[in-house]
Parts: sequence; structure tokens; C-alpha cells
Amino acid sequence: MLEIIDLHANIEDKEILKGLTLKINKGEVHSIMGPNGSGKSTLASILAGKEDYEITKGDILFNGESIMEMAPEERAQEGIFLAFQYPIEIPGVTNSYFLREALNSIRKSKGDKPLKPVEFVKIAKEKIKDLKMDESLLNRSLNEGFSGGEKKRNEILQMSILNPCMSILDETDSGLDIDALQIVANGVNANRGDDKSFLVITHYQRLLNYIVPDFVHVLVGGKIVKSGDKSLALELESKGYSWLEN
Amino acid sequence: MENFKKNIKDNFEDFYSQNTSSDVLNNFRKNSFSSLNSLGLPSLKDEDWRFTDLNDFYKSAFKHRIQDNKKFDSALIPESLNFSDVTFIYLYNGKLSHFDSIENVKIEDLESYISRLDSNEFEEIINGHSEKNKDFTFEMNSAFLKDGVYIEVEKNIKLKKPIVIINYYDSEASFVCHRNVINFQDLSEGQIVEYTFSDDDISFLSNKATCFLLGNSTNVEHLSVDESNKSSYILSNLKISQKKDSNFTTDTILIGGKLYRNNVHPVLNGEGSNSNILGLYLSKDSQHMDNYMFVEHIKPNCGSRQLYKGILKDTSKGVFHGRILVHNEAQKTDAKQTNRNLLLSEKAQVDTKPQLEIYADDVKCTHGATTGQIDNEALYYLRARGINLEDAKLIMIRSFTEELLEFISSNFILDLHKSFVEKWFLNSQLAKSE
Repeated sequence: MLEIIDLHANIEDKEILKGLTLKINKGEVHSIMGPNGSGKSTLASILAGKEDYEITKGDILFNGESIMEMAPEERAQEGIFLAFQYPIEIPGVTNSYFLREALNSIRKSKGDKPLKPVEFVKIAKEKIKDLKMDESLLNRSLNEGFSGGEKKRNEILQMSILNPCMSILDETDSGLDIDALQIVANGVNANRGDDKSFLVITHYQRLLNYIVPDFVHVLVGGKIVKSGDKSLALELESKGYSWLEN
Repeated sequence: MENFKKNIKDNFEDFYSQNTSSDVLNNFRKNSFSSLNSLGLPSLKDEDWRFTDLNDFYKSAFKHRIQDNKKFDSALIPESLNFSDVTFIYLYNGKLSHFDSIENVKIEDLESYISRLDSNEFEEIINGHSEKNKDFTFEMNSAFLKDGVYIEVEKNIKLKKPIVIINYYDSEASFVCHRNVINFQDLSEGQIVEYTFSDDDISFLSNKATCFLLGNSTNVEHLSVDESNKSSYILSNLKISQKKDSNFTTDTILIGGKLYRNNVHPVLNGEGSNSNILGLYLSKDSQHMDNYMFVEHIKPNCGSRQLYKGILKDTSKGVFHGRILVHNEAQKTDAKQTNRNLLLSEKAQVDTKPQLEIYADDVKCTHGATTGQIDNEALYYLRARGINLEDAKLIMIRSFTEELLEFISSNFILDLHKSFVEKWFLNSQLAKSE
């Protein structure tokens, strides 16, 4: 589904990714772990199409096609979703309006009819209940004044409403207490399926107790230095990253 | 500038000799003209005009015209104002054309009403405005005082239908001067909308004024939208005099004009009164919109909230000058001023200047101003959810105006506000801006 080939990327002339290669097949859950500054969030942003980076080498294929020239909205319309590490607050735009606009933009790109407000609200209310979120969050300004946990849950709410086939979770666990972590993980697990893939970027092994990955990769210095199964995450938890550096 | 002075003088002499009215009004015109003369015409050296260059304007010549008794054709008004359940008043080149009558409300041609007033009444209705903030635009309006409408809502009357004043200009190279005086007696309530527009192909100078007299415990909401064409010069004054426990909200949307001076001067003259002064200036091409706020707190325990927002495109320019004057008697004043600007192009420009003068010691006065562009992080976030760049920009621009809506309680005004703003968005190809 997603294939990253020898990706090199700079930000302001500083090389962050130095030849990253990764292949995620349909239905697989991959996790990328790594120390601060190893390039995890850069990778997430590049996959979603953020324009602040200069790709100097390599390619990203999605369903066999290069997405390098695609705008963020085109990638989202194709089914790529990034749950942001720091979701943006937008005063004056209600959560519900934003979600409907997003869903209808994606539907429109596929030639589907837009959902009417009533139809949309019904879906949104179901999903928001699953995530044990307060219904009133739908009518509040997007992420404005949301607690850290509410923002992260709101990302997962967006994911479950937009129903992407490739979800990238960028440190969705950071700032969550154990209860919120379980709710978020349940939300993610409810979206798993044979035709859906996940890339879970995290600092800690804890999240992976709930979202069990098929593969774990260690990103150090802009490259994947080790790959394994879920036991690698446990090993990292006890030994740290330092034995993999250099 | 000398030519312009002469132009005004010639116009005044013609006007004065051809329009004889009551002694009170004749004297008022004459005195206002000499006051205009002693004030002189402003230049960039004047503190209150330092961001607005009038040199181009002074090169134009206008002829003061009195509208003959042609009737305004109401088929000209835009669809967004096509209501059946409102009270319409039509002004044609500033002169009262015709209107729907309603019970308990006096609606009359301004000159015909004020020429019957004795000097005390005249003083109260016309000349009772604060002597602070003398400005050539208002003195000029007073010198040529004749056209416009007088509206008086009787005591205790709550208007069931909004009053909508339509004002249409179609006279080339004309200097149009008119004033609407709107008098709400004690305990009355209502909504007033003023909509100004013009023929597309004419160039003119509009010197318009709206003066509200708000009695004790009145509750009034006002919306003013100006869509005059972009070759016009508009010197506008909104003056409000508020008595005890009165509540007033005014919402101004500036869309038209080549050069627009928007003077707003609320005077909180009675204890416990409140004023919300809202505004949205939407400028594009080379439009210049200068907003001069002067909020005057005279009595204690009054509140004022100024929220003015600008969206500026192309090479347009905006000015926000926010002056608050708190007199020494006005203890416990709560005055807040906010000006926010969204620049949609690299060449759009805004000057913003707060000015607080406080002579009372127990007051709360705050001011704040921001100027920025559409937040790129927010745009990226919206796009990452599948929303196209153009739509994402529009969502961000729309959200910028949303804050104003919180202060408007009338649904009628709220819907009109939204429809004019959306129309401007649609006509301005916002998504194509840099």
C-alpha cells in the first residue's frame, strides 16, 4: 500500500531523513520508534504532504503511484490520514462544520454525493459516542480550548469519520493518561481491517500494548537501523535507544 | 486644496441663497460653515488624518445637487434585501423619496421636521452632540443640512418590524449631503438597517451622517452596509448619544468607496449605558478605508466594546484609529477596544493606532490590535483532511469574521450581515489571492 524508497529530506539545508526505506502492505500495522530528533515527525509530515521540506532523493509510492507531486488534500482524498501530534486550534470554525467539509470534500473527489447536515450529524454522534467524547465538542470551535486528551481523541474521531485506508498516528499517545490511551487505542482498533494499514509513530512502547503492531522499526539519525516484531518494542523499552545509535 | 476650498465655498453660497428655511436652521448652516472654515481642511500633518492622503480627493470638483422629486424605483434594491415584513424608507440621492408608514413612529423629511423646531428643541435634536472631536466632515454635513430622514419612535414602543433605510445615488459628479436623525424615546426598542448603494458608472462625493438619540432604557441594534461604487468618495459620520441604561449595538460593513472615511462617535451620556461598536472593512483593488473611532465616556458605570476587523486584498489600505476618552466623572467605565486585520496580499496595508485619554481613576480600559495573514499551519491542517486549498482559505477567512457575530442578537441583522459578507467573498475571488 505504502512504499517509501530511499527517502532523503532536508529542512532549511539540514538533512533530516537520510535514506529511509519502508514498505507497508494492506492490513498491516507498523510502528516506528526512535529518540527525539530522529526524524519521526518529519516523516509523518512529509507523508501528509507538508510543503516545508525539500526532498533531495527517493520516492513515496501509494498504491503503486508516486505521491511526491500531490498536494496534501489530494493525498487525503486518496485515503492517507495523519493524526497530528499537535492538532491546530482554529477559532470560528466549528468542529462539526470542519468535519463535514472534510468528509464532503473526500466524497466529492470520489464522485459521491455530499452528506446533508442531518445525515452527517447522525454519523458524527455515533462515532463521538464510541470515543467517549462529549457531544458538545462537535459544536465548539475546532480544537480551541480542548484539553490535550480531547485534541488527540478528536484526531481519532476525524480518522473514524473520514475512514482512510492508510493512517499515520504521530505520537498520538503523548500527553494521554492511561484511560484516554485505552479509549484512543480502542478507537484505532475499531478501524483496523484487511484493507487498512497503520503507521504508528511513538516514543514509548506503552501504546503498542493496546495497538499491537505487526512490525516495529527503529528510526535513528534519519534511517531505519533495526526492524523486528512487537518484541523489539519491549527490548527498546528496557534497553533504550543508545545501543542502536552509531 | 485651494481649489477644493473654493469649490465648497461656491457650493455653499449657492446652497445657502437658494434654500431659505427657519431662522434657526439658517443660522445653524451659516455657523457650521464658518466653523468648517476655521477648522480648515485636513492634511497628512493632522494627527487624525495622518494615514489618509486627501490630495487626490482635493483635486476633484463636485457640484452640490438637490434631488428633484423623482421617486426611487424600489426594483433596484438587491435581492438580499427583498423582505416583505420590514418597514422601508427610501432615500434617493440623500433625499427622502417615499416610505412605508407605521404606527407610533414618526417618519418625515429632515428639513421639514427641523424647520419647525424652536432653538431649544433644535439644540436637543440637532446640535446636542459633543463638542469634542470637531471634524470637517461633520461640520460640512451641518453646513449643508437639509436632506435626509427624521425618525422618532415613541416612548415604550417596541418595533415589531425592522426599519430598513435604502439610500441610492445616481447623480454624476455630485456632492450629496444628507443626514438621518433617529430618535428613540425612553423605553423604546428596535432595529435599524441602513443600506447604501449607487449606480456603477458615476463618481460622486457622499457626505452622509446618521445620528442616534437614544433615550433612557432604550435597546437598539443598527446595521449599516455601504456598497457604493469604487469611484466614490465617502465621508461618513455615525454619532450616538446614549442616555441612562440604554443599550446600543452598531455593526458597520464597508464594501464600497474609493476613499472611505468612517467616523464613529458614540457618547455614553447616561449612567449604566452600553455600546457595542462593531465593524468590518472589506477592501480590495486600491480602495482606502479609514475608520476613526471616538468613544466618549461621560457618565459612570458605562461599558463600551469596540471590535473592528479588516480583510484587505490587493493594494488596498485600511486605517483604524481607536480613540477612547473617559471624562473625570465616568468612574467604573469598562471600555474595550480590539482591532484585527487579515491581509490577503503582500501589498495590502493597514495602519492601526489606539489612543486612550483617561481622566477618571477607577476604570477598566483595554486595547489590542493584530495584523496577520492566513495561518499556514491551519491551512495545512484543513488540507490534510481533504479540503481543497481554495475552500480551506475561504474557511479561514470566514472564521476571521465569526467573532463579530457573537455581539449581534437580532437574527434579522445577523442574517443580513452574513449575506453581505458572503457576497463580498464570492465576488472577490479570495482563493486566488496570494
